[in-house]
Amino acid sequence: MSSDTQTGGPLESVADGYNDRFGHLFGELNGPQFALLIGSLAVLLVAPVWTSLLGVGGLLRTLALASIWAILAMAWDIQSGYTGYISFGHAVLSGGAAYTTAMLVAHVNPDLPFLVTAPISVLAALVIGLVIAVPSLRLRGPYFSLVTFVAGLIFYQLTYAFSGYTGGELGQRVGRIEFELAGAQVTTFDPVTRYYVMLVPMLVIAVALLYVARSNVGMILIAIRENEEAVAAAGIDTTKFKIWSFVLSSIPMGVGGVLLAHFYGTVNPLNFLLVDRSIEIIAMAVVGGMSSILGPIGGAFLVIVLREEVLGVFGVTGRWVALWTVVLLVLVFARDGLFRKLWHVLGDWGRIDGGDDE
Amino acid sequence: MLGAIGSFLVTGAMISAIYALIAIGFTMIFGVGGVLNLAHGGLIMLGAYGFLVVTSSSTVEFLTIPPIAGLAVAIAVGAVASYGLYVGLVEYIEDNPVITFLATLVVALILAELAVVAFSSSPRGLVNLAPGSSGGSLGIRVTNIEIVAFVVSWVAIGLLWYYVTRTDEGRSILATSMSQRGAQLTGVDLPSIKARTWLIAGGLAGLAGVFIGTLQQTSPVMWLDPLALAFIIVVIGGIGSIKGSIVAAYLIGYLETLTVTLLGSGFRGTFSLVVLVIVLLVMPQGLYGREWVHE
Repeated sequence: MSSDTQTGGPLESVADGYNDRFGHLFGELNGPQFALLIGSLAVLLVAPVWTSLLGVGGLLRTLALASIWAILAMAWDIQSGYTGYISFGHAVLSGGAAYTTAMLVAHVNPDLPFLVTAPISVLAALVIGLVIAVPSLRLRGPYFSLVTFVAGLIFYQLTYAFSGYTGGELGQRVGRIEFELAGAQVTTFDPVTRYYVMLVPMLVIAVALLYVARSNVGMILIAIRENEEAVAAAGIDTTKFKIWSFVLSSIPMGVGGVLLAHFYGTVNPLNFLLVDRSIEIIAMAVVGGMSSILGPIGGAFLVIVLREEVLGVFGVTGRWVALWTVVLLVLVFARDGLFRKLWHVLGDWGRIDGGDDE
Repeated sequence: MLGAIGSFLVTGAMISAIYALIAIGFTMIFGVGGVLNLAHGGLIMLGAYGFLVVTSSSTVEFLTIPPIAGLAVAIAVGAVASYGLYVGLVEYIEDNPVITFLATLVVALILAELAVVAFSSSPRGLVNLAPGSSGGSLGIRVTNIEIVAFVVSWVAIGLLWYYVTRTDEGRSILATSMSQRGAQLTGVDLPSIKARTWLIAGGLAGLAGVFIGTLQQTSPVMWLDPLALAFIIVVIGGIGSIKGSIVAAYLIGYLETLTVTLLGSGFRGTFSLVVLVIVLLVMPQGLYGREWVHE
């Protein structure tokens, strides 16, 4: 951090302590931004307590769901948001992982433990990601978006074409998560456990992706977005980095897909592969603020809470109309994203320009 | 066997004409403004539902007009909606391709959900413009509606062709899609050209909607397949090229008919995607197009 910074208040000194130790890894923050992050983290970590105190236990389910979607939105962000190669078919990755879990449970052995199916499913997402990325990343601009979009449609169709295996419209049951951790039995039948099983991977992935995004790799990805020719002229193989960003995105997409599969308990095309799901992921990232990793988390929580808790007043279909209308308004009037705006307001509030997303 | 080949050739020709209609509107909008209009499928759906409302007594009882007049209404609905979409939304955001891409897709999703609200999610049957079927002598049977769709589509394409190659107004559209700056320097009013292109593309989409809605289905998910088709066709034909769209529409139309005949409708789009990927990798500019250039 810069030397001309005036420190003031206990908040700033805590934030400075953070900046000195971790600032170079995750980006520097000022006091209000630090407070926002720690505050949100605390609210999320003790959510089971305050939801039961306030008598809104059902909210815990929504927050668990939002955590999963936050993983997907961040994963989309590290690839599309950072490189500017906008993928419109990311649900294929999470859907691929979810379907792998479903196929393993349904056709190999229904008693396969979660700790076996989950890694295989994430690996499947990775392979699918490579299959899509290697040919399509040679393309640029709208062509890339287009191929990913069509890939999503085809994958969706194939689940119906092979309905003998996939269960078609109705999908396949996968059951809940059950595994042993340090001698204790963890099962997502219990809402509180389920919440933490969804929240903890989200936080781990957030830290990992933030680290990557603030590292040299993240810099190169942003540089590719801004001026790919210049990056290539500097002797950097841009295709390699673009494929890496896709791989980096496929892994959390796979994790999110597996969690989502066990959250719903059933894997079907509607909840996993419909075009709307890919667009929802993008909408969350854009509403929160693209290429910031933290923005998409905020976007995911906002969109899911709106969808599940608030917009229900418009009816089953009406809530979608309302949700998409909100997304459209954000796109037109706040295209940099709501949480980026908030972040910058907090940034101006404090004295240093830390935690810059760009 | 001969009959099977014959009906394959005929069915393919019929459906391809409609595909060409869809793709031309999509490619014109891209050619003129560089905008990929993902609400194009939504406009097709609007055309189909517009037709449903005015021709069928099952929706609005006192409003039942002859199907031919309904066709005109469908065109008008598509055209007005498309024009409104451009003037009301796209014009303000078209400087950013990503936002435009996303916003038009969100518009399509909103239209689809509104269709569920208004007409429920179950498919509806459209009043058939020309019931019955003809042929049969050579073992080839064609429904009359397919013939009507084929003829009307080609008439529309012919009119459009005349408009963009023989009239000044139309030629300014063509000029804009060749070089925006060049067209501007020769005195072309860019905003009005763009708005007019959206109007025409919307009309074509509305028209195609009636035929797609009759031949396949009229439902809130009907926007998706035509959109994917328009995509694939336009890329294969070369983005911005009308001629390329027609050629590619026939290529894809026949490929799909063949796939559906041999493998079943579940694989309808799969091979089109394979062709798309090959075309993109081997000649990304398409059959008749220019390569995508950043300006």
